[in-house]
Amino acid sequence: MTDTVVNVPIIEAYQVRLRPITVADLTCLRQWRNSAFVREKMVSTGLISHEQQLAWYKKIATDPSQMHWVIEYRDTPIGAVNVKVFEDDDSVTSAKILEPGLYIGEPRYQGNIVAFAPTLALYDYCFSVFHTQQFHASVKADNEAAIKYNQQLGYETVSRGQFVTLSLQKACYERQTVTLKSLLSRTGKTK
Amino acid sequence: MDNQQKLTQTFVQALGISPEQVTDGLTYNTIKEWDSTAHMILIAELEDAFEVMLDTDDIIDMSSVSKAKDILAKYDVQF
Repeated sequence: MTDTVVNVPIIEAYQVRLRPITVADLTCLRQWRNSAFVREKMVSTGLISHEQQLAWYKKIATDPSQMHWVIEYRDTPIGAVNVKVFEDDDSVTSAKILEPGLYIGEPRYQGNIVAFAPTLALYDYCFSVFHTQQFHASVKADNEAAIKYNQQLGYETVSRGQFVTLSLQKACYERQTVTLKSLLSRTGKTK
Repeated sequence: MDNQQKLTQTFVQALGISPEQVTDGLTYNTIKEWDSTAHMILIAELEDAFEVMLDTDDIIDMSSVSKAKDILAKYDVQF
């Protein structure tokens, strides 16, 4: 790991904007992360303190093995998304396998189809700009919404236990997301 | 068939629910039949039924039957 601040790109697609997290976002992100809706779906379900979050923020700023973004829709933050390398000793930009993380903190958009937009924007970017060949996800077995969400992106189940592990290949992703992408990238017009 | 009947029929077909369930208060993701997959089917069927093409913000905003009427009204569909 270096002390160089990781250059997290701004990504805009499918009506959402993914931008690097700033100090000004931390209070909002902590409130979302500590909300029952988000927390109970996480691997670590404990409450995050201000101090823990600051330590996390310092770490991610210089850790090339992970990138984090705030999701904005209509110029308003609605959640957070990230990717981490699946294996050690690699950077997000060069890793072949990435592990994604996402939550929608804004209650109005939880469970909404817009929740697909940041993932589509991020995966498109990783597959085309980084060296990503595959995504790997690990979801609590009782989180049926997240499992279904991933399946709609083209993920296939690898194993089942306390967690369900899934993997996504680029070709499968591209086949599976044609309709979603079409719905989330329209501009207004009548038939 | 008037627009209200057409709307009800579209929801019934797209979500696989009964006509009695299609009330203004019916909201996305509150019944298992109206999940994100069904939402995509619903959008396609509404577009066919009312001959409109919704923009993405409308697709995202269509969170209830009542909201669907409001959005379709923007496309000159009257209820």
